[in-house]
Amino acid sequence: MNRADQEAYRRDYAQAKKEGKPFYPYAIYKDHVVAVLVFAGIIGMAIWQRVGVGPPVYSATSTFEPRPEWYFYFLFQLLKIFKNQTALVPVIMATFVIPNVLMVLLLATPFIDRRAERRISKRPFALSVAILAFMGMAWLTYQGETGATPTVGATTIPFTGITPGSAAAAGETVYLTEGCSSCHMVKGVGGQVGPNLTTIGTAGKSATYSGKLPVPVPGATGPTYSGANWFVLHTECPTCAKPGSSMPAFASLSATDLQNLATFLNGLGTTYK
Amino acid sequence: MSTTDIGPKGSATKAGGAVVGHVDHRTGATTGIGWFLKRNIPGETSWFQTLGFAAMAVFGLQAVTGIVLAMYYKPDPTTAYGSIRHITNDVTWGWLVRGMHKWGASAMIIVVFLHMARVFIFGSYKYPRELTWVTGALLLIMVMFMGLTGYLLVWDQKAYWATVVAMNITASAPIIGPYIADILRGGTTFNSDTLSRFYAIHMLVIPGGIATFIGLHLFLVSKLGISEPPWSKRSTRARRAEEAAARAAARQRGPRGRHEVTVDPEPQTLTAEAGQ
Repeated sequence: MNRADQEAYRRDYAQAKKEGKPFYPYAIYKDHVVAVLVFAGIIGMAIWQRVGVGPPVYSATSTFEPRPEWYFYFLFQLLKIFKNQTALVPVIMATFVIPNVLMVLLLATPFIDRRAERRISKRPFALSVAILAFMGMAWLTYQGETGATPTVGATTIPFTGITPGSAAAAGETVYLTEGCSSCHMVKGVGGQVGPNLTTIGTAGKSATYSGKLPVPVPGATGPTYSGANWFVLHTECPTCAKPGSSMPAFASLSATDLQNLATFLNGLGTTYK
Repeated sequence: MSTTDIGPKGSATKAGGAVVGHVDHRTGATTGIGWFLKRNIPGETSWFQTLGFAAMAVFGLQAVTGIVLAMYYKPDPTTAYGSIRHITNDVTWGWLVRGMHKWGASAMIIVVFLHMARVFIFGSYKYPRELTWVTGALLLIMVMFMGLTGYLLVWDQKAYWATVVAMNITASAPIIGPYIADILRGGTTFNSDTLSRFYAIHMLVIPGGIATFIGLHLFLVSKLGISEPPWSKRSTRARRAEEAAARAAARQRGPRGRHEVTVDPEPQTLTAEAGQ
């Protein structure tokens, strides 16, 4: 907007005010009508959809899903798009780059669009941006709402190849009781917050880590962790095995539990199908 | 009391009047409030221009229900979950207050987004209201942080693990990510002080920020005035008159000037795009 435009706007707005109405009561009355309707909606929802209490923290249940509030679903869904990170689509795009770029663009909107025109019918680009942003967020929110409906609370996974009483069977028990299936899916059982682990044993995971493990596990000594040892490292310290991982660390498990869990995970897709 | 006062007055009325007069003389409150209420706004305003007030009203509701919840809530990992159960199951109307606070948070997000959409569609963020938009965008970000910090306070499995993951995501951001995550958690991992830290951020830090920015936002709104819908009858009339005058001037100037002057009321590209 150049100086002439600014002056024209000021003149036009002064005229609009001169021909206008006082703030009280005209604007105040409309404001209060809408505010009362919004309050009625909130109270109505509070009565109609009672807010409950979920299971307490650290209870041995997997009948929950670590999802954020619905208004964070768009970010949550973005994370899922980028979660199988590769060099081309690094997870940092979803956790850092895209949200921050959007935030800066939002803050800078009045300095990017400096044209005088205000009528939306004459601002096709602005209108397209608004529609695209709205549809994008609505779509991601919808995906986050429907896509993450897990089969939670499962007590068994339909496997072949697991001998009762073996280390893998004990590992499966650890997997199910420690809440792994709240986020991860194996053979259609579990949530979709984290990666699907049905064939994770075939992925050939390996990492180098020279630090000390929080829980020492016999046989799992660095600096190279591959096979079952990689799963030990990843369970105790996810970011040590996979930089940028957002999985919580499960360093409270015993060495035996960790070993059994690692045996189970390392065989997924190969021995245990 | 001035000598123009007519008729007898009770001593209480006199004392009250004296107090009001004293305060008014020092602060100019009557003049200020009078200006605020009686200042003119454009004659045609849309119902969509009520959403900003609605967002502020919801903030007030969240503050009041939040204060009531704080009277019963215990920000300690061992007792937090029990106090939420207590509020929900035992406290008189506790379920309603908690429900209103929870649904109020969702309503806040919806109202704030609609408000932002209105400002965008009306082009109200343009000159001279650029900074009003910036303060509003910062308010939106703070509102999102309210949602993030409040979610953990319920201290159930879902809230806990969702927040653990959210903090891990924060920590994965380059350079400053780990520091921000450490500040939010009160340590390098989720620990027993994290809950009270989130409580303090949710109760004191962000509400203070939101209140401050609502003040700035309102100051700018009242200083710069409520914008007029760009398609209002008055502005359309004014624009037509201006265009007609420009055309008339061009007609007059045309034959006498060295070259024909065409005054286009709209830049050419815009007219072409709008026709598509």
